[in-house]
Amino acid sequence: MPRRSSLPVTFVVPTLVILLTLSMVPTLYAIIIALQNRELSSTTYSWVWFSNFVDLFSDRRFLNAVWVSVKWEIVTVVATMVVAVGLGVLMFEVAGPRLRNLYCLLFIIPVLLPRVSAAFVWKFAYHPLYGIATYPYRLLTGGLIFDPLSKPSTALFAVASVDVWQWGLFFGVIVLKLLETLPPQPIEAARLDHAKRWQIHAYVTLPMLKAPLVSLMFVKMIESLRSFDLIYVMTRGGPGVATETLDMYAFSQGFIESGKVSYASAMAVLMMIATVITFTMLWKRVQA
Amino acid sequence: MKPVRLAASLGAAFVLSATVSTIALAQAPVCSAPVKVLAQPRDGLTLLEDSKAEFEKLSGAGFKIDYLNENDRRAKSRADASTVGNYNVYYVDEANVALFASSKWIVPLTDYYPADYDYADFDPGRQKVATYDGKVWFAPLTGGGDLMVYRKDVLEAAGIQPPKTLDELIADVPKLTNADKGMYGIALRGARGSGANVWRWMPFFKAYGGKWFDGDKPAFNSDAAVKATETYLKLFKDSAPGTQTGSWDESTGAFLSGQVAILVESTPLSGMAVDPKTSQVVGKIGFLPPPSPLPGGGYGHGLAIAAKANADDASKKCAGLFIAWATSKENEKRRLDAHQFGELNRTSILSSKEFADIYGADLGQALAETGKVTAVNFWQDPRWPDLGDRWGIILEELIAGTRTDVKGSLNELEAYANELVKK
Repeated sequence: MPRRSSLPVTFVVPTLVILLTLSMVPTLYAIIIALQNRELSSTTYSWVWFSNFVDLFSDRRFLNAVWVSVKWEIVTVVATMVVAVGLGVLMFEVAGPRLRNLYCLLFIIPVLLPRVSAAFVWKFAYHPLYGIATYPYRLLTGGLIFDPLSKPSTALFAVASVDVWQWGLFFGVIVLKLLETLPPQPIEAARLDHAKRWQIHAYVTLPMLKAPLVSLMFVKMIESLRSFDLIYVMTRGGPGVATETLDMYAFSQGFIESGKVSYASAMAVLMMIATVITFTMLWKRVQA
Repeated sequence: MKPVRLAASLGAAFVLSATVSTIALAQAPVCSAPVKVLAQPRDGLTLLEDSKAEFEKLSGAGFKIDYLNENDRRAKSRADASTVGNYNVYYVDEANVALFASSKWIVPLTDYYPADYDYADFDPGRQKVATYDGKVWFAPLTGGGDLMVYRKDVLEAAGIQPPKTLDELIADVPKLTNADKGMYGIALRGARGSGANVWRWMPFFKAYGGKWFDGDKPAFNSDAAVKATETYLKLFKDSAPGTQTGSWDESTGAFLSGQVAILVESTPLSGMAVDPKTSQVVGKIGFLPPPSPLPGGGYGHGLAIAAKANADDASKKCAGLFIAWATSKENEKRRLDAHQFGELNRTSILSSKEFADIYGADLGQALAETGKVTAVNFWQDPRWPDLGDRWGIILEELIAGTRTDVKGSLNELEAYANELVKK
């Protein structure tokens, strides 16, 4: 019987221990805090068990934040994927190799910008009087004012457009590169069958790219959950609570308004549980 | 050796060693490590950084200032003070000094503020704001009350006299709005926060007779609060674009760029309005106290000694020396020479001939008059930031139109206040 090597264990165990420590210690600490009533301004605390969780469900701002987070997730993920696929296919169809390289370079630039910088740039671009993004509206309407970040009906979409500007263009480049890696035979066969261009992509190329596109979608879903910096700089969750996502509200409760770190931790724990369940279900559904 | 000579030699040695030790102590640097400061951007602090070498010579160490905008500075200093305590000096303000002091995140300033630097020279109003529970907690970097700054040319063209009462202001503002020509009657603050939209709303609340408490019970949903809120919302219809989710920067920016006819704002605006580097309306403006009975919103920001990062007395003395030096007469004179109006806090500077030469007699008179109506409008309590920020969110919702029930909103605030009071 061959002797089993201890080499894999030697390499894997220390790494696993580090990873588990890094991920589990803060997670466990967050769960423990969520069961207490800690506040920043007080050194005393006691165990309140599930009281914070119960309170959350009667908190209208929390329920609003859940709804805003769901809307944010759907809007940014769907719009990013639509822009990415549309742009990738368009570049694949109309641009030659040199032009494609130029487009790729240009479309990667937005995602290289730090989020906070992008947020400041666009916040100014959306200014109702001086903004370049609102200028066409002022020009067409003879000077009427459009303030997208101040209107509850448009603020979320205005912030989401910045997210899509960064990630949609970058994903467009990835889609183009994926299309370029496909074998040419199925595409040629479809052309010989007189398939139109959109039919080739709808029925041949994109189905062939289903697995990587799904992976891209999951990456974007995770990335969209971390849009705190963008929203914080552009609207701080406003106007009112129109763009207040769960992470914004948790931060606000923990560090801006009342210093209720336990209440904020309860939100973070709920977010973690909801995210794990949702992603597991979606992953299984996609793989089925 | 004879006993007398031995005693004399020992005595001489003792005196010599004591003298040497005293000299060594006197020359020992006060600071052993650079002072870490958490602040919000201020022209005065930026100017201070040019004189870093002077502080190094004075204390034996330098300083490093990290800047965050107002809301972020408040959030970060609160988190830092209650947990790790990385900073030796915090920038605090009227809204959070009670919280920081009662939580023991800062220590009484005057215990470590060298007497030579003359704390009593600061403007009395600012000293009052820096005092909580009978102790002084910070040295002012800025402060004051409110002034009404108005466009003489715009009011003259409309045939309107500068409003002296709140009723006149409410009547005049819509008449002065001419959106087609990019002119708006007023600019208010819409962004959430006890120091943002609530700060501008409070003078209306006080003007209508509002009180935070009726005896021991919170009275936030009074008729005065309803009327103040309705008036604020009504005036917001003529507030410049961008102010609905903006604060000081947006409202003053709109005025200084020539889009606003009347602005009631904190006193630093007046200095900015007469400075050609920051204002496009120089020579077109007048100053008056806020229309009666609006009280000015007394405020003050300054530097305080952190408790956690300065565990021993030596560190506290070092932080105290930094604060004293940063707010000294010499540094304030530098700010005056650099025309930094909003950074002036000492009576010796504000009443100096140089000040009058730079800013003129009109502004000096308006400042003196507004001082008479300046008041502390907020609830001076550690729970104020919590309550004020809660009202800030609700008020922002009312301004944005996602809420319309003023009375219901104030009832909600009162319920929250009752919870806070019970704690």
